[in-house]
Amino acid sequence: MSNKFGGWAGYVLRVNLTTGLITKETTETYHDYIGGMGIGYKVLWDNHADGIKATDEENRLVISAGPLSGSGAICSARTTITSRNPVIRNHLITDGHFGGHFSPELKFAGYDAIIVEGKSPTPVWLRIEDDKVTLEPADSLWGVGIFDTFATISKLMGQQAQVAAIGPGGENLVAQSTIQTQGGHSAGGHGSVLGSKKLKAIGIIGTGTVDIAESTTNEQLRALDDHILGIIGANNNGVVPNQPQSWAEYSSTTSRWRGGPGVTWGAADTPVILEETPWDDRQKVAMRTSMAESYFGREEANKIFKRPGGCHSCPIRCFCEIKNPKMKTEYKLPTENITNVCLGFLDPWYAMGKPSHGEKRTDIQTVGGYYMDNFGIWSAYGQLSHVMREFTARSFWEILLPADEFAAINWAQYADLDAHFMQDFYTRIAYGASYEGSNILGRTLGRGLHNFINDDGELYHLEDILNEVESPRMAGLTFALESDEHYEFYGKAYSVFLDSHLKVFNRSMVGGVHHASESAGQVGALLNTVFNRDPQCHSHINLINCGLPWAKIAEVAESMWGPGAFDPVKHYTAMNTSKAKFAKWCLVKNVLHDSLTLCNWMFPLLVSPDVEKDYLGDSSIESQMFSLVTGVKTTEQELDDKAETVLQLHRALTVLQMNEPNQRDNHDVLAEWVYDLDSDKAFGDEGTIKMDRDDIQVGLDMFYAEMGWDNATGVPTRATLEKFKLGYVADKLEGLGLLPA
Amino acid sequence: MITRRALLANGAKVAVGTVYYGTLVSFLTGCGSSSDDDTDTDKPIVEVLPGGLMVVNPVMCVGCRRCEIACSWSHGKSAVSPSTARIKVAKNLNFGPHGVQDNYEDQRGEQGDGTIVPSTCRQCDVCMTVCPQEAISINETTGARVVNDSLCVGCGYCADKCPQQVITIDKITRKSLKCDLCEGNPNCAQVCPTGAIKFYTWEDAVAEVELHEKYLALV
Repeated sequence: MSNKFGGWAGYVLRVNLTTGLITKETTETYHDYIGGMGIGYKVLWDNHADGIKATDEENRLVISAGPLSGSGAICSARTTITSRNPVIRNHLITDGHFGGHFSPELKFAGYDAIIVEGKSPTPVWLRIEDDKVTLEPADSLWGVGIFDTFATISKLMGQQAQVAAIGPGGENLVAQSTIQTQGGHSAGGHGSVLGSKKLKAIGIIGTGTVDIAESTTNEQLRALDDHILGIIGANNNGVVPNQPQSWAEYSSTTSRWRGGPGVTWGAADTPVILEETPWDDRQKVAMRTSMAESYFGREEANKIFKRPGGCHSCPIRCFCEIKNPKMKTEYKLPTENITNVCLGFLDPWYAMGKPSHGEKRTDIQTVGGYYMDNFGIWSAYGQLSHVMREFTARSFWEILLPADEFAAINWAQYADLDAHFMQDFYTRIAYGASYEGSNILGRTLGRGLHNFINDDGELYHLEDILNEVESPRMAGLTFALESDEHYEFYGKAYSVFLDSHLKVFNRSMVGGVHHASESAGQVGALLNTVFNRDPQCHSHINLINCGLPWAKIAEVAESMWGPGAFDPVKHYTAMNTSKAKFAKWCLVKNVLHDSLTLCNWMFPLLVSPDVEKDYLGDSSIESQMFSLVTGVKTTEQELDDKAETVLQLHRALTVLQMNEPNQRDNHDVLAEWVYDLDSDKAFGDEGTIKMDRDDIQVGLDMFYAEMGWDNATGVPTRATLEKFKLGYVADKLEGLGLLPA
Repeated sequence: MITRRALLANGAKVAVGTVYYGTLVSFLTGCGSSSDDDTDTDKPIVEVLPGGLMVVNPVMCVGCRRCEIACSWSHGKSAVSPSTARIKVAKNLNFGPHGVQDNYEDQRGEQGDGTIVPSTCRQCDVCMTVCPQEAISINETTGARVVNDSLCVGCGYCADKCPQQVITIDKITRKSLKCDLCEGNPNCAQVCPTGAIKFYTWEDAVAEVELHEKYLALV
């Protein structure tokens, strides 16, 4: 074996679909970038071409694991997918992730990443069985739903194959599409990139091993595993139970530690009654999270929840295995079972207007979830469904759609909260122009909001945009709901940047909100400005929603980043440097996890359920894992610096792709509703999450200073880039006039 | 002769030191005999020793594969892989014990009804019996059938004949990899986050084995 390190498999696979050439190269090229996301960003930097679209042949897509994937380290089975993203304005680079068992299998086969480039003339799928890697014809798979694709490839390879695929959404070049792996795990925004390359799926069987460094003993691995189990909580590291339990000093409704008395895996063949789930009972760890009752309500969940599920090596199990017999009997689906988490269940619910818990909501979430996954549709963290719900509530579709299309949609079903609506809804999105006449609704929702708005967030005439009319008309929509009067919007031109229900957060990227200003105020807001899509960052959530009393969380935050780092909920104080340090730390850890590849929904573990430890956790676990697995002794700070290298490269590549030296004014801009909501309150008042325009500018000043970015432009300085061994990046930006003076 | 039926009906004991064969042995070990004929010398036999066997409750298995990982971590060189783990989750993970069927949605596995049916070593004597090198013997303390690496030549007979298909040959060392019960304190059970996998005495295993067997059938 050529790899002298533990952890890394040693090779990166490069698959050129244009030529059919498949080659191997060493992973050591990428060791400074850790793995996962780091490999993805380095490959995209090295292969940058100006002005290309996500679906152009020149675009590359990288599927990557990190050095911890497959090593057995807790929660280490994420897979990162990096490419230009058609859902984002300018098709800038983003990274999406899925869990499951795919990246460990990739490692067992001997690879840390797959670089996909070019474009096949005909549909193909990639077959990987250790050293044997071939492109196989996929004509018979083209048009097939995700679930049957998994089954067909597994039949050909053997069921131990781990398969990732696109559905009809990706094939039809629908921007809002996913790449998915079996068990409902999906990565958002890049399905159409694979669709454009005619790559339907990847199947992997790996019979090799992920080697651990020779200097590491088995006892050390088990000891670290035990250490982590002593401080890990439930999903998002909730460390106190959601409801009171006799062993717990605290309980909190913010905690995702939902398993406890009254919770039942009722759809199991033999129902399992949970009772209490004490933190030190290692064989109830997987019972803690039980998120089904969050999505379905306890009464429904106790009927339909079969068990929790999730990814390789993770004891927490945030997924919900659901059995709803009506999926088969009433909705004529081939299965009564579905597994998913979060937006997989919530997007259909949002789309249908957020009905309350009950059988109708259960049907919407399970049936809608099935169609979403089978077609491979991406919610963009709910943005797709926010548009559907809000435009329906505002009666916009009646204005925006051709009359015959509007009449053909079963709005009575929608109004009646009938889950049968889900079939037509997601089919419209997945099949675009080939479904049901004009299908403006599906084509619009599938394409991404940024295509349909002007710089002020006002909507164009949808058909003009879809027909690529040179000077499209405006749709001429106005605010007309009674509730708009409260905000003094009534009668004004409708803008998606003013509408707080649409949750467009980053104004320039038209990116959705994801634990932004509503979570930790300016900290959440700042970290949502940097990424090109929602940053999928839970570093802060793992602390602030852990369930411990505010005073304890504030104490931990102060010890980490200084006084005033974390305000009381919905009672924000002015920006300060502690918050800037907190925001930077969140992003560095996020990038670290996407590179290792470790779950950022579980790590970092700053707090624990252990009162004997004064509820404190251990932020250095990632570096302990990395050191043991790879054999490269690395401190927490040294590993964070490696992650920051990737974060700096992320920023530099965004500057390069936008060809824009002023990120401050042209990237890091928030939507108006963030500042204008709650018109009867001012920033800083108790009970509001609204931000202040001047204060956010102060926030950018302080954040840029922490990041080593030029204050005027928000672009990394040469000194910063060189500090992170990115001198070649500085040279390129300088040559193009994109580096600050 | 204690039959499976009699055992279940009468609560009969499986005594340490007794040699069993026929249906009961078949039931506990999965060796495949359906004969209750005590005179049939081709039937699998097993000597019951202290200790017992590992069984997984498919209702409780959540598919995290931490058992596979802990097994890999616990034996020899730290190289993690389902190939080197002595418990097998991955082989039934996605589509159940019978692989991909046309009605896979109704079958076991993550792509089916969500039930995961891991396979464990039941410490029967088949591997020991077929080994041409006599490399597999009984650990008198735990009852585990264990491989002597210095005698094993990696021929694979044990893996081929294993009723549970849980023995593999290490690709690098060319040695047989089978469950040795970790000297009586199996690591797989220690790390299971639901207690789905447990170390049972032969007597206590009856109900668990019966439950497990139920999930091996086509639905």
